[in-house]
Amino acid sequence: MEIQLTVNDDPTTATVGPDDDLATVLRRNGYTGVKCGCDGGVCGASKVFVDGEVVMACGVDASEADGADVRTIAALGTQDDLHPIQAAFVDHFAVQCGFCIPGMIIEAESLLAENPDPTEAEVREAIDDNRCRCTGYQKPVEAILDAADRMDGGRVAADGGARPDEEGETHE
Amino acid sequence: MSDDRTDPAPDGGTASQPATDEREAFEEHPLEWDEPANNDKAPEERDSVSQPAEKYDDRKLVTGQAKYTADYGERFPDLAHAAVVRSEVPHGRVTDVDTDAAEAMDDVHAVLTPWSEAVPDAKYTSAGQSYPEPSPWDMNVLNEHVRYVGDPVAAVAAEDPDTAAAAADAVDVEYEEHDHVVDPEEAFDADAPQLFAESEVENGIVGHDYERNRMAHIDGEVGDVEAALARDDVHVHETEWETIRQSHAQIEKHTTLAYTDEDDRQVVITSTQVPNHTRRQLAHLFDVPIRDIRVKKPRVGGGFGGKQAMVVEPIPMALSLATDRPVMYEASREEEFGAMRSRHPMQVRARTAVTDDGDIAAMELYALSNTGAYGSHGMTVAGNVGSKPMPLYSKVPNVRFEADIVHTNTPQTGAMRGYGAPQGTLALEGHLDEVARDLGLDPVEFRREHYMEVGDLDEIAGMMGGEGAERRIRSCGLDECVERGKEAIGWDDVDQPDEDGRHRGIGMALSAQGTGVAGDELGAAQIMMNEDGSFHLQVGGVDIGTGADTAFIQIAAEVLGCDEDDVVVKSSDTDNTPFDYGAYASSTTYISGMAVKKAAEDAKERILDWASRMLDEPVENLETADGEVYSEATGDSVTLEDVGYESVYGHDDREHILGKGTHSTEESPPPFAAQFADVTVDEETGEFEVNKLVVAVDCGVAINPGMAEGQVEGANHMSYEMAVSEGITVDGDGRAEVSDFDEYGLPSASETPPIESILVETHEPTGPFGAKSVAEVPTNTVPPAISNAVREAVGVRINEMPITAEKIRAKLDEE
Repeated sequence: MEIQLTVNDDPTTATVGPDDDLATVLRRNGYTGVKCGCDGGVCGASKVFVDGEVVMACGVDASEADGADVRTIAALGTQDDLHPIQAAFVDHFAVQCGFCIPGMIIEAESLLAENPDPTEAEVREAIDDNRCRCTGYQKPVEAILDAADRMDGGRVAADGGARPDEEGETHE
Repeated sequence: MSDDRTDPAPDGGTASQPATDEREAFEEHPLEWDEPANNDKAPEERDSVSQPAEKYDDRKLVTGQAKYTADYGERFPDLAHAAVVRSEVPHGRVTDVDTDAAEAMDDVHAVLTPWSEAVPDAKYTSAGQSYPEPSPWDMNVLNEHVRYVGDPVAAVAAEDPDTAAAAADAVDVEYEEHDHVVDPEEAFDADAPQLFAESEVENGIVGHDYERNRMAHIDGEVGDVEAALARDDVHVHETEWETIRQSHAQIEKHTTLAYTDEDDRQVVITSTQVPNHTRRQLAHLFDVPIRDIRVKKPRVGGGFGGKQAMVVEPIPMALSLATDRPVMYEASREEEFGAMRSRHPMQVRARTAVTDDGDIAAMELYALSNTGAYGSHGMTVAGNVGSKPMPLYSKVPNVRFEADIVHTNTPQTGAMRGYGAPQGTLALEGHLDEVARDLGLDPVEFRREHYMEVGDLDEIAGMMGGEGAERRIRSCGLDECVERGKEAIGWDDVDQPDEDGRHRGIGMALSAQGTGVAGDELGAAQIMMNEDGSFHLQVGGVDIGTGADTAFIQIAAEVLGCDEDDVVVKSSDTDNTPFDYGAYASSTTYISGMAVKKAAEDAKERILDWASRMLDEPVENLETADGEVYSEATGDSVTLEDVGYESVYGHDDREHILGKGTHSTEESPPPFAAQFADVTVDEETGEFEVNKLVVAVDCGVAINPGMAEGQVEGANHMSYEMAVSEGITVDGDGRAEVSDFDEYGLPSASETPPIESILVETHEPTGPFGAKSVAEVPTNTVPPAISNAVREAVGVRINEMPITAEKIRAKLDEE
């Protein structure tokens, strides 16, 4: 069957098989920032926004997404113009292999939209179903907390958020 | 291949070492090292090295633009997808494979069995090690004789993954079932089922005895342990330990895409740590010249040793040859747990002979390693159970290590971060803690009496020959690691909780590793200068997410005096980059990084030569920095861009400035770690919380401190899992009972304690700009530190991983 999606503001017609999940369909249509680390809704690497809600795309039947508005990691920032959360991950060396990172950043954006000033425990809780094997969670959590400061209540700070110094403090 | 090799094996080693005459040893392993003047730069003189350079691929990674193997699929419109039929019996012989139903399905392009022409029948090992491999050749690509639930029997290529999976389900396999054995001790029994006939293995390893399911036996000794144990002024202490079957759990599954290119050459794009070893092994299996195979590594979504092996590559290559199409194989997560690789589960016995005042007269470890159905990395991993942790106590005069590596009908094991050291470190550091308690000694001071310091000749590392052959210690930050770790965890001031029955304790453990495999590695690099003053760095070294490419750039930029952005790195493509042994044994920065440094110095020499002519100044007066070559005498300068254009477009003379470097070494300096764990235990329920982990690591000079901290924290996270998770449990048929992350119990963000990493800088003169390794040593230490902390808190000892509330409560109930 064919389904209609809006992916990162682009209207998209996708052909889907009866067993296809949304992650597979997005990847087949070039959105390879959506990663598949498990075989169905466990590791968090495939997280995207569907109609504003974070879902693991590998756990969603593609046919059920007909008509949905989807945002993937590609909607957040570009290499030349990183989203503050992406910039914080880079500046905190919170990325190693990077396979789980798009899903974790999607979840972080959702968290900060609802709770612009989270505690460390709230950040850990938010990314509890995002599995990271390389870095663990120390640096990603620090990056998300720093991103919250940079975004200043949902808006990006005027300086875009500066690189932290060695102590993890942000330069004025 | 000899049947029973007795010469010291690379990457592990087997032979006993004769006692060394001290003078001879000093000549062979002098403390002084002929270090180039530019290698020891003070922190304030470093422009690129030890600065927080942005990770080279980070912007691509955080925006989802980076390409992993599976992301290459969209470039091949005629791509077929593979699925594998795996044995459903733990041990037996395949008598028939009915492929008719699968072949009759629409969009199925090929179904291969052990007897298909496209399937190689050569023996091989999947271990991606040096050559000849110190692992037995005991595997086939598809198997008639199956030895575990999960052994590959048949393979399918189809139009899409779902069709491939359905076709694999439609393949009907008949077996003649044999008795099986799951328990490593029972595997030794005379009447235990035998997994291998002698004739089924090539390249047998020292001490093998297939009638007893023994793949190898190794031992080594320094001094005379028996004599020391028999002394009447010592107490003999003995403890036993058990470790889990830990999964690598890389988030990116094993994935390979194979095709024949326009020049009729076989191209394999694959998520691997060992492109060059994989190329050699594929050439062996498929009987094609090495030059006709190209192995290309894109971004890799984690390795940890699980990809230091040719795990899946032959199957898509065989299917590609059979179908004349590109074929991609992506393992399922269930296959990852049941049929890829894991850490060797082990039972380790520790024994020491200690005097009343805490002098250790002898120290001994014995390991029984369960290598599962096949022997890849079996002997070398077991060797490291002794040869990595025991040298920490280089002052102990009598030391022995012995190991049996035994086959069972369980999933395959392999290399994993730490490579045997985690198992040995648990046993040794848990044991020494217990001994200190028995003697009423401070556990830190007890260790300090015996641990390494600069100038020590480490004979223990050499006791089994080969890897870590005896060495002189030229850098050691153990004291500082211990002091800073103690301070960070609050060692001297431990408050007890207010609640009744809850007790807090801090435990500690030390660790040493190696940096590369002594005498058995090679890294190579080339640098070419572009006319705009930028550089292309081609390096065989393999970045599997660690940031190695960035470290290479920083090393090159430091030598060349250019900005990191002016170095383009191309790594790990056997057609386009020089040879490298691969990303393992903590060698990448040390071996491949040194090759990069040499290549950069070679290029710099040519740059200075050109600048000398352009500035009319002798080379001795010239130096590079900030994208320029300047004269220290006159202050005159030319830019690297000027040199670039002049060298290729010059009127009188022309040269493309190229630098090359290769590096191999007999050295393998140990990095060190001091681990601290702060634990609160409820004496009623046994429930415990790990309040904090602190780990201080001496990695020499950290080429990129932020990346190095990430390595330390990630390693400690993995080590924490080894202490508190069940790992991959198997049932009575040896079948993995774990099929997804939830069942596996990978600790989540809220389940993981805060980890504080401390980098202790020393200077290792044999490493590039003073660097040694960082990524493995903190993988070893959390299980013993938590076991020791629980012992401190409530007085019971947990020897068997994982540490659980049930086990603590059971021990408390015993008291």
